[in-house]
Amino acid sequence: MKLVDETAVTLDSARIDAKGRLKEAVDLVNKIVRYHPRLFFTAVSGAALFAICTVASSIGLRWMIDRVILVRFEQGQLDTTALIAGSVIVIGIGLLRAFGVVIRRSFAGKTEWRTAETLTDKVLDHVVAQPAKWHRARMTGDVVARCGVDADATVAILAPLPYSSSVLVMMVVAAGWMLYVDVPLGIIAVLVFPILLALNIGYQRRIDRFYNVAQQELGALSEAVHESFDGVMVVKSFGAEERETARLASITARLRDARIDAVGVRSVFEAMLDAIPTLINIALIVLGAYRVRSGQMSVGELSSFIYLFTLLMFPLRIIGYLFSEIPHSVAGWRRISELLNEPILQDPAQKLQPATHGVGVEISNLTYGHTQGAELLRNFSMKIHAGRTVALVGATGCGKTTLLHLIAGLIEPDSGTISVQEGGAALVFQEAFLFADTLRYNIDLGADISTAKIDAAIDVAQCREFIEDLDLGLDTSMGERGTSLSGGQRQRIALARAIAHARPVLLLDDTTSALDPTTEAQVVDNLRKFAVGQTVLIVASRPSTIALADEVVFIADGQISDRGTHETLLIQSAKYRELIQAFEHDREVV
Amino acid sequence: MNEPIGRFTTAKTLNRGFSVAPALSKGIGVTFILAVIGSLARVVVPILIQQTIDKGLQPGDIRIAFIVQMASIAAVSVIVASLALRQAVYRLGIGAENGLYTMRVKLFEHIHRLSLADHNGERRGALVSRVTSDIETLTMFFSWGALVWLLDGSLMFVVACVMLSYDWVLALVAFAVSAPLFIVLQNLQRRLVLAYKIARESNAELLGTVSELISGTETLRAYQAHQPIVLKSKRAVRKRADAQIRAGVIGAFLFPSGEVFAVFTIVAIVCVGVLRGVDSGLTAGSMVGFLFLTYRFLEPISEFTEVVDQTQTAVAGLRRVLGILDMPIGPPPTKNPIALPKEPLGIELHEVSFSYSSRLDVQDDDLPVLRNISLSIPPRQHVALVGASGSGKTTLARLIARLADPTLGSISLGGVNLKRIANDELRRRLVVVPQEPFLFADTIAQNLLFASPDATNEDLNVVISQLELEDWVGSLNMGLQTMVGQRGAFLSAGERQLVALARAALSNPDVLILDEATSAVDAIAEVRLAKALRALSEGRTTISIAHRLSTAARADRVIVLEHGLISEDGSHFALLANNREYAKIYAQWLTATSAN
Repeated sequence: MKLVDETAVTLDSARIDAKGRLKEAVDLVNKIVRYHPRLFFTAVSGAALFAICTVASSIGLRWMIDRVILVRFEQGQLDTTALIAGSVIVIGIGLLRAFGVVIRRSFAGKTEWRTAETLTDKVLDHVVAQPAKWHRARMTGDVVARCGVDADATVAILAPLPYSSSVLVMMVVAAGWMLYVDVPLGIIAVLVFPILLALNIGYQRRIDRFYNVAQQELGALSEAVHESFDGVMVVKSFGAEERETARLASITARLRDARIDAVGVRSVFEAMLDAIPTLINIALIVLGAYRVRSGQMSVGELSSFIYLFTLLMFPLRIIGYLFSEIPHSVAGWRRISELLNEPILQDPAQKLQPATHGVGVEISNLTYGHTQGAELLRNFSMKIHAGRTVALVGATGCGKTTLLHLIAGLIEPDSGTISVQEGGAALVFQEAFLFADTLRYNIDLGADISTAKIDAAIDVAQCREFIEDLDLGLDTSMGERGTSLSGGQRQRIALARAIAHARPVLLLDDTTSALDPTTEAQVVDNLRKFAVGQTVLIVASRPSTIALADEVVFIADGQISDRGTHETLLIQSAKYRELIQAFEHDREVV
Repeated sequence: MNEPIGRFTTAKTLNRGFSVAPALSKGIGVTFILAVIGSLARVVVPILIQQTIDKGLQPGDIRIAFIVQMASIAAVSVIVASLALRQAVYRLGIGAENGLYTMRVKLFEHIHRLSLADHNGERRGALVSRVTSDIETLTMFFSWGALVWLLDGSLMFVVACVMLSYDWVLALVAFAVSAPLFIVLQNLQRRLVLAYKIARESNAELLGTVSELISGTETLRAYQAHQPIVLKSKRAVRKRADAQIRAGVIGAFLFPSGEVFAVFTIVAIVCVGVLRGVDSGLTAGSMVGFLFLTYRFLEPISEFTEVVDQTQTAVAGLRRVLGILDMPIGPPPTKNPIALPKEPLGIELHEVSFSYSSRLDVQDDDLPVLRNISLSIPPRQHVALVGASGSGKTTLARLIARLADPTLGSISLGGVNLKRIANDELRRRLVVVPQEPFLFADTIAQNLLFASPDATNEDLNVVISQLELEDWVGSLNMGLQTMVGQRGAFLSAGERQLVALARAALSNPDVLILDEATSAVDAIAEVRLAKALRALSEGRTTISIAHRLSTAARADRVIVLEHGLISEDGSHFALLANNREYAKIYAQWLTATSAN
């Protein structure tokens, strides 16, 4: 039960209109309650027990007042039997009521979190089944939010349901009870319910508007803070600390002002919600006194009536809050179902053809374009014999990386076919991605790879030295709490991963650029010795790396511009010469 | 989060919090008095019932006039009390918002002044969450938990007073019977706090695993290695659900405990009361009033159990916030600054040593140490710092830029000790261009103006033409008004560097410190960058952290660092002739970049 929403996810919730939202909320509950119906109905049964016992507890009170206290103080008699019976009733009902609460609350929690688990699992399965193309069209943070925060927001609608249903039961039973005890008094008390309910819901609507504004300001603040701290080097080097603090302070001031507005509204309503039921209570006492005078009510009845009315005030106070989660839940559910309803795209890897014997990679008539207008790769054909080491060279943005991703089966061409040697390709990305797990896991990725193979891969990728420097060696954990490696070291781990997986084709996307030239030369040399029989495609920019390849494929304007050894191309292709010399240009000053 | 949360430390933490943000506790006494008056509204009904039964509803003698009179007094009290309550809630809310505003602003300022060592990649996320989510836990607490403690606390206090004034024997009976509740509460609360802590941790673990699974999806797909990590994620999902459920179950037992004790207390009060009888001075009305008061007395317990976790979270959040404010800021601000001479500035280092280990909490073995470095750089000289990663070249450049102070020794700029130069002046005269230049999500022009907010459009154009960037700016759709995107994402790495160079040029510094980029850029972009760099460093004292040896070859002077010591110092050609470390790495570099 939190009065302010903690999940900073769904600003769009404010835009959803109330009527459609209610229908959606009903559909949503109807749907997700079915995931764990038994847990939910146990919670509701607990809630019903609680509701009945709450109303019944006024019987105990009346008994104690009419049969024990008044008898003792007004007639001077001590009725021990009535005292014992009253005690048993009060304690018995009290314990049953508490039992109802325990059942209601624990099973409401179980329903909520088990449902969240079910939803997250479903989303995970769905997301994992989607190929790279799907993921590239989305922000990582957004997908993560749908697995986590959105699932939590969705199930938040479940938690207060059993309690709300018990409030409903309680109101119906109590209304009947109060009418039974005394009709005129009962009518007044019953009329109060809808008034308070309306007041509450109106208040909740109003305050939610302020909280939504505050939530937006908080989002803006968080974004600005991220940026400002990320740019701390620039801030420091231009002495802009004070300017930046002032900028962030002005956003913070907007957040504060929005919240202060909310406090203003809230303080008035808190006071009203406290005062109104109490004033009605006072009126009921006065009216009750008339009823007692006319002999239509006993003092015990009047007291228990007041007691019951007081008891009902608390749920009425928070009922507005109970509904305040609905917009978030509905918005969260929309985002989740949107994702679950998307069809699973075909895995491009399944469209790869097996290459004919002796061929490593063959591409024919391939077209691929991610920009409108000009295609990135146009009518592209390339055949690479098994066992060759080939360098792909070209200006930035010419499609080298895309080509590797196509061969790896991460993305699919618009047209044309790709054939790869049986067993597939292992790709090393330009940016090494390491998991927050041990180095060993980062190399084998959970596959069953022998220690000997991992050892060999470590040597080829020149990782041995720095891994041995770590206290736990291969069992060292990476990530936030683990060791952090330099860019070059990360690249080499990623390379070791590809080598250990021993696929017939090895694709290296500018993998060695973060290494110093000496280490790079060693790695490439090792690779040539080790990867005998493997087809290796290297995207490279350093002339020394390019020169080590058996052959160079020079790509320009979406096609193969030229092909041959590095030396041949230097002589044969003016464009190639220009590109390589541009790299060297900088040296000629010496 | 891991330190023990004792009562003493909690009190100390709160006190520190109040001294950082005085608005939090300012006038809290008045607020408390208002809250006490406000909670009087809740005892009005039991008192009215008592009076009605005792004096208005005597059998055979029902005095409606008296009851109406009492009810009117009660109604007026309720209205007064609710006005006081409104005021208490408002004051608490305003105080909290103002206090938390102050706290945030203090954090911004402090964090911006922390040394760069405290701004490393992994710590950055933590710094951001200090000013966002940690302060939010406090906001959450002040908008609910604090209100519950304040209002329900004063309610319990007021009810206890009224009970004692009715009949001290019955009041003591009520306190004695409900006393064990507090032992039960303490025990269960400790478990609850722990359970919530585990739940939060498992939640973080869940988000961590899932975000890894999503961000690493291409790698996983390339190796068809999804299964293990999907299983790991699902285990984390289950663990989180289990932890939340466990916390929920403990909470479920805690929640009704106040009510359970209330029924026992009521039975005890009735038994003791009727046994003592009329002779003790008790009346039927005060007995009934007592029953109502007992419910009121124990009613807040269930709300307390709901805010315990929130309170602990808030205290832990506050503790983390204070932890940041306790971190020493980077180079301390200058007292009694000395103005720099107008002419071009040289740099002197006198027996400078530096180590990061003086930081208590930072265990960074890869951060290098500098040992006893003395160096004199005349005005306008171009110096290249060369060395393997970890040799100390970045640290040396940072010390010269006063992004950190040396542990031992001193550095002077234009003959003035760095520690005596006002930060504003230092930043005007000396500019650092980092390896990965940072751009704000704004236009190119705004990013340039960051260096010098008062510069005119003409100034921008002058700088652009100085660095020979007109053709590049011309090639952009919107020219200088082009948006660069988050962290400059719409630009290529090379273009981001161009913006950073132009930004540095705009502030027209005497001294330039350049951390050369390693990231590979297009060969053509490379040429453009080299030209801009040359134009920028023209006529300025320049220190380059050289990753490309061509930069070293062009410099007036090369300084080679090895394990925090200067191993070679001289011109490029002199060092080649020396035939030591520099000559060796230069030869390697030549082979690596040669076409043939």
